[in-house]
Amino acid sequence: MKRLLYTVLILFITAQTGLTDDKNSAKKILAGKLDAAIAVLQKKNMDKQEKDRQIIKIVTPIFDFPFMAKLSLGRKYWPGLSKEQKQKFTDLFIKRLEASYLEKLSLYNDETIVYKTPVQSGRKVEIPTEVISKDKLISMTYKLYKSKHNWKIYDMEIEGISIIVTYRSQFDQILEKGTFDDLLLKLEAPENK
Amino acid sequence: MNKKRLNNLLLILLFSVFLSTGCAHKSVKSLPETSDDAPLTQARETIPDKAEQTPSSPDVEDSIEDDFFDEEFEAQQVQVADPLSSWNKGMFHFNDKLYFWVLKPLAKGYIAISPDYFRRGVKNFFYNLTMPIRLVNCLLQGKGNAAASEFSRFIVNTTAGGLGFGNPADQNPDLVVSTGEDLGQTFGKYGIGNGFYIVWPILGPSTLRDSVGLVGDFFLNPLTYVDYSETWIALKGFDLVNQTSFHIGEYEALKNSALDPYVALRNSYLQYRQKKIKE
Repeated sequence: MKRLLYTVLILFITAQTGLTDDKNSAKKILAGKLDAAIAVLQKKNMDKQEKDRQIIKIVTPIFDFPFMAKLSLGRKYWPGLSKEQKQKFTDLFIKRLEASYLEKLSLYNDETIVYKTPVQSGRKVEIPTEVISKDKLISMTYKLYKSKHNWKIYDMEIEGISIIVTYRSQFDQILEKGTFDDLLLKLEAPENK
Repeated sequence: MNKKRLNNLLLILLFSVFLSTGCAHKSVKSLPETSDDAPLTQARETIPDKAEQTPSSPDVEDSIEDDFFDEEFEAQQVQVADPLSSWNKGMFHFNDKLYFWVLKPLAKGYIAISPDYFRRGVKNFFYNLTMPIRLVNCLLQGKGNAAASEFSRFIVNTTAGGLGFGNPADQNPDLVVSTGEDLGQTFGKYGIGNGFYIVWPILGPSTLRDSVGLVGDFFLNPLTYVDYSETWIALKGFDLVNQTSFHIGEYEALKNSALDPYVALRNSYLQYRQKKIKE
């Protein structure tokens, strides 16, 4: 009986630490990548193109861009697409995500990031951060899930506004009236000026 | 109410929405699908299940096959009726041009000629002045501590901070920065829905509920009681340009990432407000 109790206790403790490890390892990976990206951003003598290239190289391993493409269409639209459509959409969507991420990052370059306590729910972890400067405080939440090997970002929220949800609302609107080709065309079009 | 007063009211309405959407606040977030209290135990139970369902596929597109996290995103998606969409789209374009042709150049010129501390002081001043809006709405939402903190900050910043230009209250960790309550959020807390979407000129995106809230907030704003409407307009305009000077680039980023900027802004506004109501 006593042995059983110990076993249960040990199991319980390992399960607990397993979870905290999960949360903290996710946080550590994220912080490492963001610090590296911001360090590049703050470099004085490097042109923007080179900076962008390096930042994307740093953050790509932690973002699951292809998965984000799939999520942004959702169960409603994704399964009905042909393989070519999926590929084309994914490629175009990733380009847009990268550009948009770079633009957002550059808005908040001279500020400190405070990492708050992550919240885990199953294989998902939300890591709330605050980007703080003299003038403002912006809440950014990184949402990660555990893929086969590592923690990967599948969505990001800035002041409660989710990237995936925002894209979903637009794709819904476009696909309600138009075809998937219309959507691809819009995705391909240069950014709105 | 005479015509001039009515005009003023409309303008104020517009201004204050525009301002209120730009402010950054602290946030406390909870996962949409689980409550704050019980995510851990639940989480432990679901790990093995889901892990078994995950097939190992080398294909990039199937990071987690068959899982779209649909429940999560649908819970977060706020739907709202848009019966005024032609008016709204017109106003969206008007505001877009107003930003790029008027506000942004003005704010940039203003940044060029005024030191940072000055702009920050002005921002503090106007923020401090609108304490009654936040205080009353904290009380209406039963947030006693936040209300007390709101009031203490006002006293400290108005006296030691020199009429609110300084922000010494920030040095005191007991005086927590509030999440910026307004009447629209109070209505939301009471369970009142958005109604429909409406875009106001100058002010930008709003909903029926939030617009009604703005009218109430207008009467709680001390600036409303400035005697001369010219002075009022000048002050509001100054506040707007000053605020804009802190947010250059944000609207551009939203627009550039969007396929349909009108829909993207509408959706972003709704998500943002939903988050604020939850706080």
